[in-house]
Amino acid sequence: MPENISVLKVENIKKRFGDKEILKGVSFELDRGDIKAIIGPSGGGKSTLLHCINFLTLFDEGHVYLNGIEVNYADKHELYAYRQNVGMIFQDFNLFDHLSALQNVQIGLVRVKKIPKPLARERAVAELERVGLKEHMDKYPAELSGGQKQRVSIARALAMDPEVILLDEPTSALDPELVGEVHSVIKKLAAGGMTMILVTHEIGFAGSLAKEIMFMDEGVIVEKGAPRKILYEASCERTREFCDKIIHFHHGDDGSK
Amino acid sequence: MSELIFLQNEVAPAMLRGVWVSIQLIVPSAIFGLLIGILSGTLRVYGHSFLKSIANVYVTIFRGFPLLVQLYLWYFGLARFGIYFSPYTAAVIGFSLCSGAYHSEYIRGALLSIKEGQMLGAQSLGFSKVQALFSIILPQAVRRALPGCGNELIYLIKYSSLAYMVTCIELTGEAKILASLYFKYMEMFLIAGAIYLFLVSIATWFLNNIEDWLAVPGFEPPRT
Repeated sequence: MPENISVLKVENIKKRFGDKEILKGVSFELDRGDIKAIIGPSGGGKSTLLHCINFLTLFDEGHVYLNGIEVNYADKHELYAYRQNVGMIFQDFNLFDHLSALQNVQIGLVRVKKIPKPLARERAVAELERVGLKEHMDKYPAELSGGQKQRVSIARALAMDPEVILLDEPTSALDPELVGEVHSVIKKLAAGGMTMILVTHEIGFAGSLAKEIMFMDEGVIVEKGAPRKILYEASCERTREFCDKIIHFHHGDDGSK
Repeated sequence: MSELIFLQNEVAPAMLRGVWVSIQLIVPSAIFGLLIGILSGTLRVYGHSFLKSIANVYVTIFRGFPLLVQLYLWYFGLARFGIYFSPYTAAVIGFSLCSGAYHSEYIRGALLSIKEGQMLGAQSLGFSKVQALFSIILPQAVRRALPGCGNELIYLIKYSSLAYMVTCIELTGEAKILASLYFKYMEMFLIAGAIYLFLVSIATWFLNNIEDWLAVPGFEPPRT
């Protein structure tokens, strides 16, 4: 495919719940290997935007393009194929509670990709090894720590061979001492050239990882640019205020270790 | 001594015949009832509005009409329209549909207790909603519903005794015949009651084993 076409393009996405407009026309593009972070106050529409990109929430207006081709979500098969290409990591993991770590990673391969079970198992073990959980593969979600659960969910998404991964506050439900292990897995993905959108409150981590940070508030992308610019020299008052608060809160500790 | 011979020659064969009919009533009714319950419970939570209302109407009627009335309708009522069921068939239909309506409620409750994230997680991997239901949601919901559904099976064992009201002579029917023949109501019904207790004990043991077999961490049986 031509170099100049972006992997993922989001155009003018609008979404309202009742009379509250959550997304007021959001657009951006993502090149292959690109990592963009979205920061901003709660209720600003960040999670809704990611859910819309995965069509888990249907938006009212707008377009999503994968490799330059618009996604027609009304065609179920196209939608299911698209979702395999765009992995999603949730804030509260959403691991399948009745399945072991291994089965969690394996089930999508068997049921969706229709890969024979022995092959799927092999792949699932490899993915769990990649996130450092091979020795825990027979444990159930109830027996895993939050950090381990999130790593399983990353392995589960990776097993589907996605071109893009959407991370919706992957560490915000974790105890502070468990954040590092998830961050290091995400860093490894980044080093491997994975294309990602990262919604986060961990501003230091976002800054060290992303090429661009987008500040989102009240359903719009207020400002975007290189991390240094957004975090320390934002031109918009609201961005500056938000970043100052968060940076002071973290005492300059970037949380990524 | 003559009592023993009476028990051996008259009571035992009749009661055994009755138990066998009861088991033939209970087993298929339990299986059909559970399947109907899972289907209608699922439709009531995830079905499109038309199917959802059909399932709701079904549950309302079959939980609302007394079971005996339902059996009379299947056996005597439909005969008026030229639809004749054997006593056995009428009883199995009546039990399955009534049991299904109760199961439906347990399944519905269990489905509602499964967090939305489970569906989102599956959909984000490319599962269709139906696939997610069968592979992810129902296996969890059935585990949650098991204690309730087991209770319904215990009820079914006992309300199977209503079958003799539509002339399907099962355990209670045989006991009734013996009782009035020899005027030994206390003895015959105590024996029948003890046999039901035995059946219920077997069912309880069986259900506990299923719960243990299906148990995974996070879905332990609610016993200590």
